[in-house]
Amino acid sequence: MKIAQEIRPGNVIMIGAEPMIVLKAEYTRSGRNGSVVKMKMKGLLTPTAQETVFRADDKLDQVILDRKECTYSYFADPMYVFMDDEYNQYEIEAENMGDSINYVEDGMACEVVFYNEKAISVELPNTIVREVIYTEPAVRGDTSGKVMKPAKINGGYELPVAAFIEIGDKIEIDTRTNEYKRRA
Amino acid sequence: MINTSLPKNCDIFCNVIDNYGDIGVCWRLARQFTHEYGLSVRLWVDDLSSFVKLCPDAMDGAARQFCRDVEVCTWQGDFDGIIPAELVIEAFGCRLPENYVEAMVERLPIWINLEYLSAEAWVEGCHELPSPHPTLPLVKYFYFPGFTPKTGGLLLEQDLIARRDDFPNHAATFWQSIGRETPDENTLTISLFGYENAALSTLLAAWANGEQRIMCLVPEGRILPQVIEYFDVCHNEGTHLIAPKPKNSQINSYQQNRQWQHGNLTVQVLSFVPQEEYDDLLWACDVNFVRGEDSCVRAQWAAKPFVWQIYPQDDGAHWAKLDAFLTLYHADAPELAATTRAFWQAWNMGDATTIAQAWKNFIATREPMRQHAQHWAQHLSRNNLALNLLDFCQKIGRIRAFKIVESSS
Repeated sequence: MKIAQEIRPGNVIMIGAEPMIVLKAEYTRSGRNGSVVKMKMKGLLTPTAQETVFRADDKLDQVILDRKECTYSYFADPMYVFMDDEYNQYEIEAENMGDSINYVEDGMACEVVFYNEKAISVELPNTIVREVIYTEPAVRGDTSGKVMKPAKINGGYELPVAAFIEIGDKIEIDTRTNEYKRRA
Repeated sequence: MINTSLPKNCDIFCNVIDNYGDIGVCWRLARQFTHEYGLSVRLWVDDLSSFVKLCPDAMDGAARQFCRDVEVCTWQGDFDGIIPAELVIEAFGCRLPENYVEAMVERLPIWINLEYLSAEAWVEGCHELPSPHPTLPLVKYFYFPGFTPKTGGLLLEQDLIARRDDFPNHAATFWQSIGRETPDENTLTISLFGYENAALSTLLAAWANGEQRIMCLVPEGRILPQVIEYFDVCHNEGTHLIAPKPKNSQINSYQQNRQWQHGNLTVQVLSFVPQEEYDDLLWACDVNFVRGEDSCVRAQWAAKPFVWQIYPQDDGAHWAKLDAFLTLYHADAPELAATTRAFWQAWNMGDATTIAQAWKNFIATREPMRQHAQHWAQHLSRNNLALNLLDFCQKIGRIRAFKIVESSS
């Protein structure tokens, strides 16, 4: 059992008899020190997506899934194709990729997740390094790292980074939170 | 057979965490369902002593009693043999008794988690979303009160606006009931309901030394000991007070009509104000200091300038909520935003260094603030929580009926 707050995109939880893959999970503080988690989930057996909300401390039954080291090969709309070291290919629907879709690159190593031998999602390393391909010029004198500005990385994903980051810099990103960590 | 009509009965569960906000909202909703929509309501409360404060004719310790036609039950022990109502409301995510939830499987009531009030944008995205039970065939729905049409709205009794508008005809009766004559037009009347606040003594001093006479009514509550302390210090410094110096031992036994005066400030302590009388206090005053959720909503219905002390959260999450409300509240009155924001922030931060000047700026905009508060109340009154909630119940009933038809065809 995990509490809702600990559930991440790509995790599979049981709702009744149905395994549901979590596509998105947003944690928010409500009132009186309470919190809620809004989730977008999709059934693995009856694939209809639905939005739900849980108290952050609601207990949910997470399904322990099989994993396999793979590398990303190519995109065949709408499937992302991964390959293991025995050249077996596994397809994952774009919708099931969650936030990983922002970071996949050709040849990238990651873990493909399986339910009943079917590839259902992918998990990336917690930290990855990406090059900034566009951002506004650095603000002179501000090296504190507290002032943020938007920056675009390879693949087009945009995220807030420290104001001193420049085009061509490599940055570390936490793939669990999609947050900039530091200059690499 | 799935019922698509309004539910006939309702169980409301309230776990009192602290203060009176939780039970205040639940008691108000219970009465509204009972009196305006004819539902038979059971209100389950785990701390009856808090409820008795709001409804003084209730009996503390009674396992079951009827108050204003609402069945008020002490929430204790197991719930064996309790048949769930057609509509089950857990207030603010309190956990329902396990065997009660198991009993719900038989009857499939509409199950609502009535959430906290917030002006933040994310609320619209979570309002009315389902929350499937992980193991039982039950779905709970999150229902968010709020200030926009995409939220559940606010609790508003059918006759409240009419009673408010008629209040000036009966204002003298209110003032007599607290042992005072109606203040003259040159006296600013303030109700002060709040949590402990480090800026209070500075604000009281600013009021005492200000140019305008101020009559401040303080209902019994958490801020009262600080008010007493202020006058205690004044007394020790030789300031003339018209009431005798209070002794600490008297704090808990203060009765109505306890008052002090310092300079232009007169403070009168009121006994704890029962919920049904609180609106009169807000309507009688020119400016209302409120705290938490329920009194904040009532201050908005009062359509007077008000100051909201938000419930402080451990990690400072309340600042975003305060900011969200201020932004929404001033969307149509940007010229008032800066002064109100500055004073509310000083009050919420307990900032004694800025509170006096912030107050001066704030109160200088009193008349446009009053006009804006009236527009705001009118705008909010189109979105009635109890009515919306019952509409939602019917919608759920229709969805369930459709699913049954679909699966049988």
